[in-house]
This record gives sequence, C-alpha cells and structure tokens, in this order.
Amino acid sequence: MFYPGCSLEGTAGDYCKSTMALAGALGIDLPEIPDWICCGATAAHQSDEMLALALPAKSLLAAKGKPVAVCCAACFSRLKAANERIASDPAVRKKVAKVVGADYDGQTPIAHMLEILAADVGPAEIAKHVVQPLTGLKVACYYGCLLTRPPEITQLDDAENPMLMDRLLQTAGAEALDWPHKTECCGGSYSITDVGTVKMLTHQVLAMARQAGADCVATACPLCQINLDLRQADIEAETGEQFDLPVFYFTQLLGLAMGLGAKALGLGALVVDPGKLLADRKIISGPMASPAPCGGCAE
Amino acid sequence: MSKPKAESLTDRAADFAARVEKLSDAKINACLQCAKCTSGCPVAAKADLKPHELLRLVQLGMADEALSSRAIWQCVSCQTCATRCPQGVSIAAMTDVLRRLSRASGKAAADTNVPLFNDIFLNSVRKRGRMHEMGLMAAYKLRTMDLFSDMAKLPMMLRKGKLRLFGKRAGDKAARKAMFDRARAAGGQGK
Repeated sequence: MFYPGCSLEGTAGDYCKSTMALAGALGIDLPEIPDWICCGATAAHQSDEMLALALPAKSLLAAKGKPVAVCCAACFSRLKAANERIASDPAVRKKVAKVVGADYDGQTPIAHMLEILAADVGPAEIAKHVVQPLTGLKVACYYGCLLTRPPEITQLDDAENPMLMDRLLQTAGAEALDWPHKTECCGGSYSITDVGTVKMLTHQVLAMARQAGADCVATACPLCQINLDLRQADIEAETGEQFDLPVFYFTQLLGLAMGLGAKALGLGALVVDPGKLLADRKIISGPMASPAPCGGCAE
Repeated sequence: MSKPKAESLTDRAADFAARVEKLSDAKINACLQCAKCTSGCPVAAKADLKPHELLRLVQLGMADEALSSRAIWQCVSCQTCATRCPQGVSIAAMTDVLRRLSRASGKAAADTNVPLFNDIFLNSVRKRGRMHEMGLMAAYKLRTMDLFSDMAKLPMMLRKGKLRLFGKRAGDKAARKAMFDRARAAGGQGK
C-alpha cells in the first residue's frame, strides 16, 4: 500500500509522479491507502503526543496490515515512531486505541521508497532497466535528517554515512560523491516560521555540495527538495555565491536512466532548471516539459 | 546555609526533572554535560541556549528558564543530538516535552511563531484530514500579518504546479474532530 503524504499532493507532485512512473516501469504495485490522513508531521509531535500517535495509527489501520511504502522522510519518520511506541508499550497502545476508536498493534511494516528500490527490487533488476546511463553526472546524495535519525526508529542505513541512495544512483551510472553533509538538516518545516534558519542551513548544504564538485543534488524528502531548490536563488542573491545546482528527487534521476522522459518524471516542476546540465551530459535533449498533475495523487 | 532550604531546592529540582523524565523517557540524569549534542546541533550557534545547557536547566529544576527559552522553538527537530549522545539521552524527546509543557503553562516565548504555526497546521488537519499547503500558508500569513514575504514566488509555484488552490480532503470530518478531542483529553498536555 502507498502512503503519499500531503506534500506529494502539492509541492512534491513531481516526487509522486516520478515514483509512480518508476513503479510502473519496474512492476511495483502501489495502491493508495484508502482515506489516508496527514501523519501530523512536526506540528503534532511538538504539540500533543497522543495526536502524534493517533494520526499515523488511523492511516495504518486502513492499510489492514499490508506493508506500507512512503516517499516523504518526515512521514516515514512519524509512521515508524508511532509504530515503535505503540508496539513497545501496551498502556500506550490501549490509550491510542481509545483515541482512534480501534486497536492498532503497531506492526504494519513501513518502508521508504529508497529501501524498496535498493532491497526489494535490487540493483540487478534496476540495472536491467537502465537504458540511458547517467555517465559523467556527479551527484551529491542528500538524505537530510529524518530518513536515518533516530537510527533505532528508522533503521534505514548508517546514520552518519548512509549509502542506499548512492548505490542506487551508481547502478544508474552516476558518480555518487563522497561528501560530508549527507545527513545535515535543511531546516525542514521552519521554511515558513523561521526563513533565516532555513536559509543558513540550506546555504551550508549547497556550498558543501558545490565544493565537493557536484553537478546536482539528489533528495528523498519533499522538505529537503523544496528548501534547496526554491531558496537557492535567494541565497545566491544574498551571498553573491553561484550554485546552479539542480535539485532532483532520486526517483527522477533513476527514471531518466530508465528512459522514462522528462514529462513523465515531472522535471518541469524543478525551480533550478536542469535542462542545460542534462543536455551537457547527453542524458536528455530539448526543453523540460511543462508539468501536469500527477496521475497517482491528483484527479 | 540552612539544611531545610537546601533540601527543598533539591526536591524541587528533582520534581521537575522527574516530570520531564516521566513524559519523555529521556534519561535526563544520565547526561554528563559532554556537549557532543551541541557540537552537532545545526542551530546551537543562534539559539539562546545550547542543547546541553537546556538539559542542565532541566536537571537543576529550573523550569521557568527552560520553558520560556527560545531554544525549544529554535530547535529544528533534526534528532542529531539524540542520535549522537554517548549516554543515550533522548534530548529531542525532552525538547518535545518542554514545548508541550511550555504551551500548557503559558510560558512560550513571545517572539516565536512556531506554536501558532503548529496550531494552524493541526487545525487544518482536524478540519480536512490532510494538510493543504496553500491554505496553511495563507492562514499563517494572515495571522502573522507577514503578507509579502515569498509572495513573489507564488505565480511561479502555481505555474509549475507546486501549489494547488484547493487541496484534497479525506475521511469522515465529524469522526476526525471527535478523535482530536479525545487525543486532547487523553494527553492533558495542552493543545
């Protein structure tokens, strides 16, 4: 079952679109959880513990025990944190059941799309689908904070130097750079309440990617993507530094390698235009297609 | 220094630390003040308290100072502190509890908009089941009268399909509102 999360219906429509395109090409079935609701994100866990558990429990109950795939790092972290808390403490489970109105055992398996592609599908199968290797493309794989932290909850990969995304993009022929800011924070949802902090943190990530020799950044989280992409021009104007770093979702880069095309991958939604870079590397030619709503999440 | 006074001070400190401990499971008293959390904290340089200082306030029972700090709202919830703590102190979980206690006791710092944003966010989820980014931003801008920041980006974001004028809704509204009310009643930690 698929839990898109709210961002994939809005700012991260291209993440949803490229995920669906990949899933289609690789034969992964991703039916949406019926009537899923918001995980509560940072707002819930900062405000009300019961709500931070009840909101994920409500959606996970609707998955009826089937494994759940997630794209957003924040949703992934909240669903897994709720699972852990509910499964490990019978008193909490009982309280949540009272709030939700139904008992949830906290046992629904949750996997991020990175894990599904790297482990369930596997590099050998993905390699079979690569028709346009991303040769010569230097990618800084940016995981952000919530995919790997806290490690005992997310259990995704090494918390300080994750390699899941690096290996996937290597399979696609790209050069994944060794760089130190893989898991630094971009400021996340403070993009609205504390723009100064987000710009400061985003600037550090972009500057480090540039310094490491990156052509572009690959992300696996809607907040990482929008902060690095949307704030880039402002940061360039304020600091006088030039980054010119397209910020992709890793699903878009994999999709390009699989020949799925700019339109199907929603590349037109990217703020920093990747057209020139992709043409220079002979990965794609022609203008970026204008975006259209995602088939998976929008009518 | 009279003995009873010292005892009551110690008791008061122990009370607050124990309360935060009970609500967070954070292992408050295992902290040795090594400041590894602070070394990795992305906002330590600009926050009014560094993570290890905030933790020390809790150990010492200095509730007012901790609950009215700006640091608890400057923290971006990135979990680096808890991940790297050699003593296994869940600093991020402690900070969440401090935020909730701060709201519940009316001590939240006046110059932060994070609590307001959280309220608008959760209220939107309560009504719609899902967060609608454009509605959220509009509501926040109206409440803070911060009408013009980022407005220049709006046409581009609409053109690129990044914002939707009307978001989707999900589920049974009345049942969800009742669930929110039950959560609030069960939590007892303020909104």
